[in-house]
Amino acid sequence: MRDEPSATLSVGRADPVAERMTTPADIPDSPPDDLRFRRKVRIGESIRELWRARELIRTLTERDLRARYKQAVLGFAWAILPPIGLLLVFDVFFHHVGNVSSQGTPYELYAYLGLLPWTFFSSAMTVGGISLLTSMTLLNKVYCPREVFPLAAVGTAAADAVVSTGVLIVLFPINGFWPKATSIWIPVLLAIEVAFTLGVVFIVSAGVVYLRDLRHLLPIALQLGLFITPVGYSFDVIPRGLRPLYALANPLGPVIDGYRRAILLGKSPDLGLTAIAAASAGTLFLGGYLLFKRLETGIADVA
Amino acid sequence: MWPDGTISATRVWKRFHADRTRPVLRDEVERLVAKRRGQGEDRWRWALRDVDFHVAPGEAVGLFGANGSGKSTLLKILTRVMYPYAGRLEVAGRVGALIEVRAGIHPDLTGRENVYLYGSLLGLKRVEVADRFDDIVEFAELTDAVDRQVKFYSSGMSMRLGFGVAAFLNPHVLLVDEVLAVGDAIFQQKCLNRMRDVLAEGTTLVYVSHDLATVEATCRRGVWLDNGVVIADGPVRETLSAYRQAVEQATETSAMTAGPVRLTDVRVTGLAGEPPTSFAALDISLRLKAVDPESGPLTLGVSEGTAALVFAMRHDLQLASGESSLACTVAHLPLPRGRYYLWAGMASRDGLELLEWRPVASFDVEGPDLIEAPTAVMRLAPVQVEAKWST
Repeated sequence: MRDEPSATLSVGRADPVAERMTTPADIPDSPPDDLRFRRKVRIGESIRELWRARELIRTLTERDLRARYKQAVLGFAWAILPPIGLLLVFDVFFHHVGNVSSQGTPYELYAYLGLLPWTFFSSAMTVGGISLLTSMTLLNKVYCPREVFPLAAVGTAAADAVVSTGVLIVLFPINGFWPKATSIWIPVLLAIEVAFTLGVVFIVSAGVVYLRDLRHLLPIALQLGLFITPVGYSFDVIPRGLRPLYALANPLGPVIDGYRRAILLGKSPDLGLTAIAAASAGTLFLGGYLLFKRLETGIADVA
Repeated sequence: MWPDGTISATRVWKRFHADRTRPVLRDEVERLVAKRRGQGEDRWRWALRDVDFHVAPGEAVGLFGANGSGKSTLLKILTRVMYPYAGRLEVAGRVGALIEVRAGIHPDLTGRENVYLYGSLLGLKRVEVADRFDDIVEFAELTDAVDRQVKFYSSGMSMRLGFGVAAFLNPHVLLVDEVLAVGDAIFQQKCLNRMRDVLAEGTTLVYVSHDLATVEATCRRGVWLDNGVVIADGPVRETLSAYRQAVEQATETSAMTAGPVRLTDVRVTGLAGEPPTSFAALDISLRLKAVDPESGPLTLGVSEGTAALVFAMRHDLQLASGESSLACTVAHLPLPRGRYYLWAGMASRDGLELLEWRPVASFDVEGPDLIEAPTAVMRLAPVQVEAKWST
């Protein structure tokens, strides 16, 4: 199988430069087509590799959390601050000034249930979208499945989301309100939310490596997203006929609406819209992952 | 499947954009538009062409060549950081790489956290890293600094940490790229010793360096890359001397340069015009031409590579104006078989340069090969002595 290395060079007595040395002229201008390196993306193999890298994802998530909280005096308050800050703004402008309907439930709870998934999505995007760029030095030196970086960023956002969910423990009693039994729908809605977030983060993080200027677009897009998504207001604002289309384009809409219906109104989520959202998020997740694996091969080349 | 530690790269090609614009939307759109119009072909530069690189487990291979010859690209492909354009590639086992200083090190984390991070990048469990943690810290001479953030480390410290981590986390393949230059002499020695230990444990080593002496000291096999092509692959001494010779040829100036003293002819022969032979006499004859009468010490030296002398000789010289000749005989030539270079230079007593110090001739010595040290990675100076044995 292997060539004996010493066979490549034979050293003459008078002239140490051997006659059998390679000269560049022997080599064709480009490789024959059948030699092209093709990297097949096998989902099973990728997932197995990812499973082996779970320790790494944990370390990276911890690294993100620690590096962030180590420098910050406020520590975990950073996790609660973004949704609480937005909640205050919404409370003043949407609720008191704009008189936005919260369908007869306390507005603070109504808005916070929209803010939780949104903050998760937004912070996953902010960190995860540029996670490959910020880890470039690491990417260039050590091999690991590249999706660990966006995954770790989403993990960090998830940890923040768990912390900020804790605020509900205070918000419910303050408003004298309790979650309804239909809250058992939460896992389904959560799955759609996470799948959508992962899909978008995969696509954006890989795309930004090739089109660096898009990273400047990211904050603007997120700001617009906050208002396009029914975070501060009700999903019912959207005309009934447009809702399926909306659910397809932005699964977060029906997800937030679902949370509010299930937890506050005691109704089950709109099944049709939730199904559309699930299909859209699932497709985005799978397609995003495959696209990521595709683009992954060239990342070090443009680093 | 190959046994762990095998590297098998067959006909590997890698190309980069020759005129790579920035990876931003505007430039990409311009490129696409130009392509649509049928102008502006993508231009590529080959970084590696048809590279065959096979290494058996436990082998130590030195990779050398000029800057931009593709050494680092090859290493990056071996670590799977980059993917080849064409070719077949298999690297079996865990790959530890020290490609740049601060390899795999995150500045905001402490040394300790970095060790664990790097360990998990290599695919090790936390307990496995914990087992070797003390060894790493001791080797890297960090003691208290392990719990300090790495951004406050000196470059030497982070290099030591990087090397310690890569060398102690038991990779099957260790790739080391031109990193030891930052460490002080003592630590360099320590690293070389550690590489030897790692080799003794059966790890495969690929070592890239411009410091040819350490390549020779560490590796048994040498691979010379030039312009992305493997020029030579074989025993390290032979490939290195071929490389050195090519470097010499590129830099060798004509023997006649302008100066107060010129060298017009150089001859190096063995006894009675025979080729130079080990342990026999070596005759060096020179013809010198001086514009004015000059005096001062003339130094002759013999080197094996580009700069390191094996031995030198000095003679005080009085030169009349015009041509004069000079002969020098080395009684028992203490050199093994190989190619050597003769250096010459002359200065006046008050230090003024009369003849520029540089290689003036090359010669081949016939005789026995250099004896190798019994434990592989230890290189002897190219000196052969006559020894009498008795029991």
